[in-house]
Amino acid sequence: MTRADKVVIALALLLLPFLYIEFWGNGSRGEVVQIRSANSKDISLPLEQNRQLEVEGALGTSIIEIKNRQVRFIDSPCRGKQCVLTGWLDKDGQLAACLPNGVTVQIIGRDRRFDAVNF
Amino acid sequence: MSYHFPTQLYPKKPFVYFVVIFFFLLTLSACEQRPQVYQQQILALGTLVDISIYGVDEAKAAKAVTAISTKMETIHHDWHAWQPSRLTQINAQLATGTQVSLDQAQQALIEKGITLARQSHDLFNPAIGKLIALWGFHSDERPDAKPPSETDIAELLATTPRMSELVLEDGLLSSANSAVMIDVGGYAKGYAVDQAIAELRHLGITNAIVNAGGDLRAIGSKGGQPWRIGIRHPRQPGVIASLETQGDESVFTSGDYERYFDYQGQRFHHIIDPRSGRPAQGVSSVTVIHSDATTADAAATALFIAGPKKWREIASAMGIEKALLIDTAGTVHMTNAMQQRIHFEIESPRIVIQP
Repeated sequence: MTRADKVVIALALLLLPFLYIEFWGNGSRGEVVQIRSANSKDISLPLEQNRQLEVEGALGTSIIEIKNRQVRFIDSPCRGKQCVLTGWLDKDGQLAACLPNGVTVQIIGRDRRFDAVNF
Repeated sequence: MSYHFPTQLYPKKPFVYFVVIFFFLLTLSACEQRPQVYQQQILALGTLVDISIYGVDEAKAAKAVTAISTKMETIHHDWHAWQPSRLTQINAQLATGTQVSLDQAQQALIEKGITLARQSHDLFNPAIGKLIALWGFHSDERPDAKPPSETDIAELLATTPRMSELVLEDGLLSSANSAVMIDVGGYAKGYAVDQAIAELRHLGITNAIVNAGGDLRAIGSKGGQPWRIGIRHPRQPGVIASLETQGDESVFTSGDYERYFDYQGQRFHHIIDPRSGRPAQGVSSVTVIHSDATTADAAATALFIAGPKKWREIASAMGIEKALLIDTAGTVHMTNAMQQRIHFEIESPRIVIQP
């Protein structure tokens, strides 16, 4: 084995972790919470930072909580409270919506497996 | 085996070249463009509509989304089943036996409803608006109250409302049966999605997905890569199967989990069987792949009502080749053509193929 062979092998090994991260790395690092409202600008927040925030919608204020890499509606000024009943979201693509108030919360990951989900 | 670099061509330390080339390769991979998909959600048709557009600049995509939003708002207001709309006016006039004048778009939608009902052997029956209302599904949030009485259901069934009793001539609509009350809920979403796709094409957009609350039509691709669609499991969180769309396809699902109410421990869903006047039994969900969304929407409802025994026959009658039905026991029934298109994402479900 020559020196050149060794270099080639060493570089190939060096390349491995890079390729692994590039193609198989899970998207968990880049996950964000996207909050959309009919009455204010879209907000994107990291899923990793715990916080509670108030979002103004068509009817009033929706309260949203991000905690331990999960997000949920705490309260919303709607009748059915479907958004609150949805509970915690923790997976890529999951969504909770308060349609009466026009506020939606969705987890968006770095690599989404699907372009759309049918149900 | 070893290889010696000819010293006259290369310097003495060839590994320097390797290192340089290696880093160039890294930067190349960083240059590689991930497909840029413009994605926007709008509130329309009383649901969340997700629009994905590929291959045009952001300004154009944003303009298209606004156009779709306007179009869907109009459809929603024109065809709303219980809030005062063009449809409630039409129904009021039909009930009194008078003729109603329809514009071209209205004629097209009613005409399509008549055709789809006939093809489905009246299992897809948009004429049973009164029955839907009796079950309380003509309200935004149905309370978990009592289902209607057998007598009330039987009384409405005896009036036999059918789309075939509508007469549409020279833009004038009339009904031979005053019990007909049109409810386009079984195919209006498909119609709206078709209109949205037409709008996109009109604007020169040829790669897009319009996903209206889980029912979608996809055209083109994202730079040669097909659009990937996940089909959600009707009973568990997550996806049961996935598929890649080819060219121009609609994927529509009717499920018993979409709208329902519970009363004394029993669940009553919104897909009413026009034969029994009650929620259709034996099926959790039906997924249909078809070219146009209007037909896919109506077919998903019709096959759901047809049930595990009759769905295949109705699919043929409606010209549907790719369909999948999951019964309440969790068994997947599907056509050959559907099997060739989907990939299961869960461990070996029980599958019955009906060619």
